[in-house]
Amino acid sequence: MRVVVAEDSVILREGLVRLLTEVGFDVVGQAGDGAELLKQVDTHDPDVAIVDIRMPPTHTDEGLRAAKELRHRHPGLGVLVLSQYARPSYAFELLSEGTDGIGYLLKDRVSDLGELAESVRRVAGGGSVLDPSVVAQLVNRRRMGNDPVEELTERELEVLGLMAEGRSNKAVADRLFITEHTVEKHVQNILAKLQIPATTDDHRRVLAVLTYLNSS
Amino acid sequence: MGRRSIIVAAASLTSGVGVAWVMFANEVRTSSVLDVILVLVVGWSFIGAGLLAWQLKPGNSIGTAMIVTGFLRFLAALAQSQNVVLFAGGHALEVAYLAGVIYVVLAFPRGRLENTFHRGLFGLAIFAVGPLDIARLVFGGHDPQSCVGCPTTLVIEVVNAPGIARALELALFGLGAVVAVSAFAVLIRRWQRASPRLRFAIAPVLWVGAASFVAVFLMVTNHFLEEPAGDAPHVLLDVVTASVAFAFLVGLGRTRLARSAVADLVIELGNTPGPGELRAALARTLRDPSLDIVYWLPGGERYVDADGRPIELPLEGGERSVTVVRRDDHIIAALLHDPALREDAQLVESVCAAAGLAMENERLQAELRARLEELSASRTRIVEAAQAERRRIERDLHDGSQQRLVSVAMTLGLADSKLTSDPVDAQTFLREARTGLTEALEDLRELSSGIYPGILTERGLAPALEDLAARCRMPVELVVSLPQRLPDQIETAAYFVASEALTNAAKHAPASTVQVRVDQVDGQIAIQVRDDGPGGADPSRGSGLGGLRDRIEALGGRFTLTSPPGAGTILEAEIPCG
Repeated sequence: MRVVVAEDSVILREGLVRLLTEVGFDVVGQAGDGAELLKQVDTHDPDVAIVDIRMPPTHTDEGLRAAKELRHRHPGLGVLVLSQYARPSYAFELLSEGTDGIGYLLKDRVSDLGELAESVRRVAGGGSVLDPSVVAQLVNRRRMGNDPVEELTERELEVLGLMAEGRSNKAVADRLFITEHTVEKHVQNILAKLQIPATTDDHRRVLAVLTYLNSS
Repeated sequence: MGRRSIIVAAASLTSGVGVAWVMFANEVRTSSVLDVILVLVVGWSFIGAGLLAWQLKPGNSIGTAMIVTGFLRFLAALAQSQNVVLFAGGHALEVAYLAGVIYVVLAFPRGRLENTFHRGLFGLAIFAVGPLDIARLVFGGHDPQSCVGCPTTLVIEVVNAPGIARALELALFGLGAVVAVSAFAVLIRRWQRASPRLRFAIAPVLWVGAASFVAVFLMVTNHFLEEPAGDAPHVLLDVVTASVAFAFLVGLGRTRLARSAVADLVIELGNTPGPGELRAALARTLRDPSLDIVYWLPGGERYVDADGRPIELPLEGGERSVTVVRRDDHIIAALLHDPALREDAQLVESVCAAAGLAMENERLQAELRARLEELSASRTRIVEAAQAERRRIERDLHDGSQQRLVSVAMTLGLADSKLTSDPVDAQTFLREARTGLTEALEDLRELSSGIYPGILTERGLAPALEDLAARCRMPVELVVSLPQRLPDQIETAAYFVASEALTNAAKHAPASTVQVRVDQVDGQIAIQVRDDGPGGADPSRGSGLGGLRDRIEALGGRFTLTSPPGAGTILEAEIPCG
C-alpha cells in the first residue's frame, strides 16, 4: 500500500516513515507543508495521505485545509489527519466532507504499530477513523444532564464508543472478546434507545451516531 | 486727555466754526444747511474718532491719519470762500482728504499698510489728489464759468492751456477710478482671507470703506460724463465718508468690547463651569469659535486635551497661535487660537488671568483622565503581554517537548514490535527512546525556568542573577549589594529587567561586555544594565521593553532607557521597596 506523509517536524516525519515502513507500507512521498503535500499526492497518486494538522506557514490548521483540498481533488484517496490535540470541532469539520476514507487521530496513537496499520488500512478501504479521546469527549458531553445516552449500559457505552471510532461490528467484537452476534444485539439496543433509525451500512451508521452525539 | 489732544480738539472746533462761517458768508453761492452739516459731521467725526484712537491705541497711526483727514475735509470746504486765497487753497486740496480715507480703511486695524501693493495704492492716491490735481489747476483746469459764486481768478493758475489741463483732468479721473476699484478689490480679498474672529472686528470699517470706494468711483465717473447725476455722488461720498469714522468707532469698540466681556466671564466662571463649558466660555469671550484649551501635564512633560489625550502644539506662524497660560509662574495650560487675537494680547491676558483658577481645575481633571487613560492602556498591554506569553509557551511546548515525547513513543512502539523477533534491534530502539526522553526533559527544564526561575524563590535575587549571568553567552560583570531578601514581585521584576536586558544585549550587541548592578538606596532598589555595544535601541519597537516598563510602573517604579547610537545601551529601573 502506497502512502504519502506530510509533517513539518523532521524527527516526527522520520519516525513516522520508519514506523510505516516497519508495518509494511510503502512511503512514496514526504512533505513539510500543505502545498508540497498536494504536489506529492498529484505526482505519486498514493492510497493514503497522512497529514499533520499544524504546518507552516501559519502553524494553525494548514493540514486540515490541505486534507479537504485533497478530498476534492482525489475522491478515492484515504486521508488520515494527525494532531497533537484532540479537538471535536476539527474532527467534525473534516467529517463534514463525508466519512468515507477519512481519519482523525492523536499523534500519540501512532506509537501502537498495530493501531497505526489498522487505521491506515481502514481509511484506505473507505472506512473512517475517529480518535477515542474525541469520541470520549462527545459521549461525556452527552452524559451531562438528562440525555438518552444515560440510559445506555456500561457495555452499550463501550460498543457505542468503538462504533463511533469507525470500527466494524467484527472489530468491535474482537476488541471486547464477544461474538459479532452479541455486538449486533447491543447495536440494535443502542440505536433504539437513542432513537436512531437502524441501518445496515457501517459508514452511514457511524455518521448517524456521530451526528447524534454532536447534536445538542 | 493730553495737551496735544486738547490743542487738536480746540483747533477742530475753531476750524469747524470757521468753515461754517465761510460757507454761509458766500452770498452768491449760498450753501444749504445740509451741506454745512455734512462738512462738519465728516470733519468732526474724523477728528473725534482720531482723538479717541490716540487715547485707546497709542502708537497706532490711524488716530493721526483720521485727525489729518478731518482737517483736510475742512480745508476742502474753503473752496466755497469768496476770498481768493482761501478759495485757491481749498480748491487745490479739495479732494486731498480722500487719500486720508483710503489710508484709514487700508491700514485698519493695525495702523500700517501691510504690503507694497497697499503702499503703492496709497502713494498713487496722494499723487492724484495732490500734485496731479494741483497741476491741472496750474494749467488752467479751473473753469470760472462752471463755478457759481467763485472768485473769477484762481491765483495758482499760471498758464491757461486747456489741452494740457484736459489731459491732466482725464489722468486724474482715470487714476481715481483705478485707485478706487483696486482698493475695493483689496477689501474684498481681505474679507475672504479673514478668520471669523478678525471678520467680526474689521467688518464695519471694511464694508463702509468699500462703500466709500464705490462712491469715489461713482463721483469720478459722474465728473467724467459731465455730471449727469448732478451733485448726488458728492453727497453720497460725504455721507459714506462720515460713516467711515463711525464705523471705525464701532470697529474699535468691537476689539475692545470683549474687555467688558471679561467681567461677564468672571461671573460665568463663578458658577463652576461643567465639562467643555470653560472652552465655550473662553471662545465666546474672545470671539474665537475655533479656540481650544490644552492642559499641561507636569509629570509627562506634554499637553493633553480635556479628556487627557496627548496633543501636539501647532507651530507658531501657522493657522493657529499658541498662548501659554501660567499661574504662579507655573505653566498650567495653553490656548490654541486664531492668530488675529495677537492684536489683542492684553485682552487674552486678562481672560487668562480671570479663568486661571477654572483652568487649573480643569487641568487637574485632565491630568486625572490622562492617568486613567495611561493606566487602562498599560493594563491592556499587560493582559496582551500575558496572552502573547501563553501563546509562546504553547508553541514552545508543541514544537519542543511534546514533539520529542511523541517521537519517543514512536521509538518505544518500534522497540515493542521487535522485542521478540529481534531483541538486539529492540534494545537499540530502547536506548534511542531514553536519549529522546532526556532531551525532552532538558527542553521542559529550560522552558519552565524561562516561565519562572525556581532559584529566585528558593535562594533570592542575587543567586538567580548569578545563575542568569553564568548561562549568558557574553561576559557579564555582576555587582549586587542587597542587605536582605525583597518582596517577591520586586525580586521577580528586577530579575526580568536583567534577563530581558541580557537577552537584548545578546541579540543586538553580542560582542559587548555587560555590567549588571543592583543596589538598594533610600528605600528604592535600583537595577542598572549597561553594555558597550552599538546602542540605538528603540523602546517603542518590540514588546519586550514596553512590557518591562509596564511591569516596573505597575510597581510604582521608573524605567529609563538610554541608548544613543554608537555609545552603548543603559537600561535603568528603580522600584520602591518599602
